[in-house]
Amino acid sequence: MRTTLRTTVRTLGVAAMATSMIVLAGVAKAAMLGDGVTVYMQMGGQPGEPPVLPRTNGAKAAAAALGVKLIEQYSSWQAETMLAQFREAMAAKPSCIVIMGHPGNDAFADLVADAVAQGIVVTSGNAPLKELQVKYADKGFGYAGVDLYEGGAITARAMLGAGLKSGDKALVFGNFSRGDRGLSDKGMADTLEKAGVKVDRVEMSEEVNGSPPLAIPQLVAYLQQHPDTKAIGTQHGGITPLLPDVMQQAGKKPGELILGGIDTDPKTVAAVKAGTMTATLDQQLYLQGFLPVLQCVLSVKYKMGGFATNTAAGTLSPKNVDALVPLIDAGIR
Amino acid sequence: MAYGNVVALRNVDFAVGRNEIVGLVGDNGAGKSTLIKIITGVQRPTSGRLYIRDKLIPWSEYSVRRAHELRIETVYQEKSLGEKQPLWRNFFAGRQITDRLGFIKVKQQKEIADRILLDTIGFRGVGIDADSTVSKLSGGERQGVAIGRAMHFDADLIVLDEPTVALALKEVRKVLAFIEKIKARGRACIYIEHNLAHVHELADRLVVVDRGEVVSVIAKGEMTLHDLTDHLLALQAAKEAQA
Amino acid sequence: MTAVADPSPRQRRPRQRASLGARLIGTEGVPILLVLVVVLAVLMVLAPNAFLGWRTYISVMINYQPQLICALGLTLVIAAAEIDLSFPSVITLCSLIFAAFYRFDNVWWLSWVGAGLSPEAIKLLQAQLCWLGVFAALGVGALVGFINGLLVARVGIPSIIATLATAFVWRGLAVFLASGRQFSLRDFNQTDLWHVTTGRLLTPLFSGDVVLRKPDGIPIQALVVIALAVLLWFILNRHRFGEALLFIGDNANVARVVGIDVKATRVKLFTLMGTLAGLAGMFLTMETENFTTTQGQASLLVVIAAVFIGGTSIFGGSGTIVGSYIGLLIVVMLQIGMVALGLGGDVADMVIGVVFILAVTLHMLVERPERLKGLGFGNR
Repeated sequence: MRTTLRTTVRTLGVAAMATSMIVLAGVAKAAMLGDGVTVYMQMGGQPGEPPVLPRTNGAKAAAAALGVKLIEQYSSWQAETMLAQFREAMAAKPSCIVIMGHPGNDAFADLVADAVAQGIVVTSGNAPLKELQVKYADKGFGYAGVDLYEGGAITARAMLGAGLKSGDKALVFGNFSRGDRGLSDKGMADTLEKAGVKVDRVEMSEEVNGSPPLAIPQLVAYLQQHPDTKAIGTQHGGITPLLPDVMQQAGKKPGELILGGIDTDPKTVAAVKAGTMTATLDQQLYLQGFLPVLQCVLSVKYKMGGFATNTAAGTLSPKNVDALVPLIDAGIR
Repeated sequence: MAYGNVVALRNVDFAVGRNEIVGLVGDNGAGKSTLIKIITGVQRPTSGRLYIRDKLIPWSEYSVRRAHELRIETVYQEKSLGEKQPLWRNFFAGRQITDRLGFIKVKQQKEIADRILLDTIGFRGVGIDADSTVSKLSGGERQGVAIGRAMHFDADLIVLDEPTVALALKEVRKVLAFIEKIKARGRACIYIEHNLAHVHELADRLVVVDRGEVVSVIAKGEMTLHDLTDHLLALQAAKEAQA
Repeated sequence: MTAVADPSPRQRRPRQRASLGARLIGTEGVPILLVLVVVLAVLMVLAPNAFLGWRTYISVMINYQPQLICALGLTLVIAAAEIDLSFPSVITLCSLIFAAFYRFDNVWWLSWVGAGLSPEAIKLLQAQLCWLGVFAALGVGALVGFINGLLVARVGIPSIIATLATAFVWRGLAVFLASGRQFSLRDFNQTDLWHVTTGRLLTPLFSGDVVLRKPDGIPIQALVVIALAVLLWFILNRHRFGEALLFIGDNANVARVVGIDVKATRVKLFTLMGTLAGLAGMFLTMETENFTTTQGQASLLVVIAAVFIGGTSIFGGSGTIVGSYIGLLIVVMLQIGMVALGLGGDVADMVIGVVFILAVTLHMLVERPERLKGLGFGNR
């Protein structure tokens, strides 16, 4: 008799706890700002890639915090795929679609018009779409990213600040002929040239774009052939960490060349700490994922207009690197 | 032997004596090639038993390799030689002379190959040696190689599947002479042939296969070539009438 | 077929020896080697600083071993008239497996190993566990190769389709196991394993007075791959297994009929290719001391091109290990040469394409000199 009573009390207690938890959860859920909001977001490359990961993390964090349903899209940086994925997203009639600017304003113009007409909020990140931004600003079209050209320029300025002078020779290794993808390389090369540096613009192959280590011997051969090169600059997130290896295999001592790059690959960060890497552009990619999701919620729920944020504060250099290492490891910076 | 819903062979009782030439005739699709593939270990039938030298051989133990070990060799129409491979590989394919690790004793194989080419087959001064690839040989020369291979491995039973197809007259004569020699050396032979004149001349027994079944067995001398031709045409007519 | 035709006493016509030149051209690899020599000669003239010194070549030796390994393995696959499109993904997967055994703290399925250990203890464990990682990476490579083989040989899916499909699977699996992250193998070059597999030899000849993180010298990986090439040559040309591949590639029906177990051989072939791709992935991670989720993905076309430039026929039935090795070097040198000259990847692509066509034509001509007549040359 006593045991039965004890058991019953225990069971009732558990049931009460469970019920209250469910109620509370329901109450908590009901309070989330982004309830009912579905967002399709273009991440750009492949899952887990260095230029992609912090953005994904930022987006997921925002989605979790706001109660948004987030669907990620990966396109291996192919503009055509991005357009196709936009169409897919439209077909699913979400609340909001986040795009990247690689395909360009013209390619997106009709698609975005259709989506907006259907009541879908469209916003952008990472690579800009200035015309569309202006056109649909009141419908919530914002931008969270670096101005590509400006990003290259910022990096170039850091390189100049480290001692690159007028008359020096520099190699910029990039995607000059690949439309918007090459904007950052152009920004870097132009800025250096304006300062009087003699820039050799060399186009990288698609193969190297996908598999950076293959570039090492190519750059080594270039340095051999042009021994008076003082600096190497790139805005490719996979090539940047390999620049110190290039230097070594080309027989250059650390610090002999000024190296400028992009993103915060662990190897790059280690090189910055060691002083071998002069500067690397920190896009604060996390914000490029977080802010568009926030934009979506605010525009869908409160019809807020688009806000544009330049997420690139500046470059990582030997002076400021130490504080940021733990965050980089966690995929936040 | 059934392939899914298609029964290729049914109720086939087939025997070859120690020193006889058995001719196997029948129209296309009658099942001759299937029967041969079963006898030589390339295919396993869906039901049936195999006796070699009066011993029952379980199907699970039978394969081309086992057939070779039991001294049964085959000469196929066209497809028994690797075209791009040199002769020294073709002679020993599937039963190479190797060391313990599996590496082929190339020099030895080439020497034996050269000997076979000269003595057994009789290629003289035609510019063919152990290193020549099969693609450089004519149809008759290829048949010569395939037959030479069978002879080298000293088979007790040599199966020839349409060996004279696409051969010039002189080469056909050589093949027929070879078949006669098989009997003369005390061995046996199964000889599939479309050309009734050839097989009628040589076979001790003729087995006629039609639509997957053995329809008649004719001993040497029982029928003239003319009668044989009529017999087969009658079978053909019966098949068409049924269709 | 005995000596019926010739009644005269048996003569042995001495085997005609072809001229020295013809025999030289007929030796495996000589024509394509000449192409490489020509390419290098041109590059040395155009970019002497890059191609007359040793640094460029050492750099190639350091960075291109994974591609060489795959080209060698693919030679056997193509000789058997198959293709394997999944090897880039296997590289990614096995790179990860190896990297994970070193940085077990970074992967969700191995993090329990280092739970509660001090940093020094972890470092010690890392240096030892990575040896296990070697076997794990090769084992996984063999396993995925085995699966490829089963799909092709037992299920009967054409290899181009089967391996294209599994390419997606292995890549996705790699990213999944890595939690989408990429990580670096810090201080890996301090471990014994690194010195054994990825170290440099003869460094005094190369290093000046510079203190480097990784000393200059002949990379051990390069020597390992040369040894591998020799082994694979013997397997393809002198071993039972290699001969089986040649016959299967020539004509699978003929192979069956002469007693070769076609199904089993195919499974073994793909298992071998998977293991080699696993080795390539491991070497890649060991050298770059990094794992990224796109590791190795871009090598597909270059490796395949290298095999055909080297002279292996698309139709199967023959294969040249020497040719594939040299073929890859040709492609790589051209790419490097273009960049050294300040020209872009686009120019390199065009040049490589043209050399590709010329090389293949050269191989066709060497095999059938009478084709020259078709082009309008040849004696009257």
